[in-house]
Amino acid sequence: MNPIPALRFVVRVALQNIVRNRGIAFASLLTVTLTLLGAGAAVGVVFALDKVLQQEESQASVLKVFMADHISFASALNLEHTLASEPNVQAASFENKDQAAAQASSTLGLGGALHVLETSGGGNPLPASINLHLKNIAAVTAINNQVSTSDLLFPGPHQTDYNKDVIPRVEHYILAAQLGGAILVAVVGAVALVIITISVRTAAFVRRQEIEIMKLVGATDWFVRWPFILEGMILGVISALLASGVLLGVGVAFGSGGSLALGVGVRLAVLISLGLILGGAVLGSFGSLVGIRRSLAT
Amino acid sequence: MSISTSPAPPRPQVAETTRPARHEPPIIVFQNVSKTYPNGATAIRDVSFTIPPRDFVFVVGASGAGKSTIIRLLIREETATKGHVLVEGQDLARLRRRHLPRLRRKMGIVFQDFKLLPTLTVAQNVAFAIQVTDPGRSHLKEKVGEALYIVGLEDKLNTFPTELSGGEQQRVAIARALVHRPRIFLADEPTGNLDPDAGWGIVQLLLQINHRGATVVMATHNREVVDLCRRRVLAMEGGGLIRDEQEGQYLKDGEANL
Repeated sequence: MNPIPALRFVVRVALQNIVRNRGIAFASLLTVTLTLLGAGAAVGVVFALDKVLQQEESQASVLKVFMADHISFASALNLEHTLASEPNVQAASFENKDQAAAQASSTLGLGGALHVLETSGGGNPLPASINLHLKNIAAVTAINNQVSTSDLLFPGPHQTDYNKDVIPRVEHYILAAQLGGAILVAVVGAVALVIITISVRTAAFVRRQEIEIMKLVGATDWFVRWPFILEGMILGVISALLASGVLLGVGVAFGSGGSLALGVGVRLAVLISLGLILGGAVLGSFGSLVGIRRSLAT
Repeated sequence: MSISTSPAPPRPQVAETTRPARHEPPIIVFQNVSKTYPNGATAIRDVSFTIPPRDFVFVVGASGAGKSTIIRLLIREETATKGHVLVEGQDLARLRRRHLPRLRRKMGIVFQDFKLLPTLTVAQNVAFAIQVTDPGRSHLKEKVGEALYIVGLEDKLNTFPTELSGGEQQRVAIARALVHRPRIFLADEPTGNLDPDAGWGIVQLLLQINHRGATVVMATHNREVVDLCRRRVLAMEGGGLIRDEQEGQYLKDGEANL
């Protein structure tokens, strides 16, 4: 069989099928668009949640090792370098007493109290610290145990501080968000698949006489299948384009600065759109394959 | 698709008689064939016959006698529960599903209900058989025109089936079955929905196709047609083959109406 005329015929029949059965095609287009819209929105929300959690995680994974006031700057610097070379440590930075006071003023609103203490001769009560930014939140406890009993400055224990309570909570949220997102996408995908299958099965039922004649005159099963597969693929891709358009429109309308709504960047938006198009094409063709199977059984 | 009418070749004469090639291996063989459905109903039981190339055979009998089952077994829409059905030496029970299209392209098949696509014109309905089996085939228009010329509908190319009479619709179905130039032509009650004149016209056409070299098997309960043609008759009753007669009639002499 010559592939070019065969392809031309399959494309023509697929397009004819869509036009002839535009009612069913429109219904499946609408439902698949809605489900892909749900899938795209789910990916965006999971991304935004993940971003918030990552932020929380990065904050929670900071371990502060407080310096006694008599520790020399050289000793502190030495400790900073030593800790920075630890495998689980991403970065280590020294925060002097003034920086600690400025930080407390800005984040905790303690500027007034610190000013009163300093002007009354009490001085800055906040200690200098080495702030360790860890690669993995799970390593905080281990590093804390290692540092708090270290002999690098002088025999421990050294006073440390980290968000002990936040860590398990953040880990829990991350797991829940990933699991929830995966389940949501899987459920939405399954719904889209079922809808396309039903739609193609209905289309195949409407065209049962055409299929019967094709088989009687000697068309191969694949020749019968291809127009339906292409039809599902076309509907899936159009649905994905519509869903992407709506998501991008909403993203732009509610976005600010260089990013879309929920802090989704342009790059991610393009990736989500491409993913939806690919997903729509795969869902459409696979749904069609399942939908047409019964019509070819005899 | 729009097809212009090409200069018509002279119309062939309808054959009065056709000599089956009995010296050649049979083109169709039924060996002790039975068909029982999953619900236990037996459609045919222990049926045996052979059909030589270029034979013209009527399969007659009352409704439910098993005529259509024989046609369905021949196109392998059904498979035999017992026995063997052979077409050109090929045991259909052993035929792989992927080779089924090849078998059906050797056959022309028409039914009582015509099975035309109402949204396509006459020419498009005939061309459909070529397009879905060999889209790259050249001279599509000529082949469609030739098939429609044989059935006498060369002036109805762009007409839709709903605008045709029953007899004309059956002629379109025959033209569609002819475009592959089949060696075997199967007709399941092709005159069942037609008035006597139109029905006789269809039988004349099938005789002409037989004269051109095709083996024709026609399932019918049209007594008049069978009796006028005097061709081979396979008479079915209750799923069994009760009579196989050359130049036979619908009923055996002295037999009561079926």
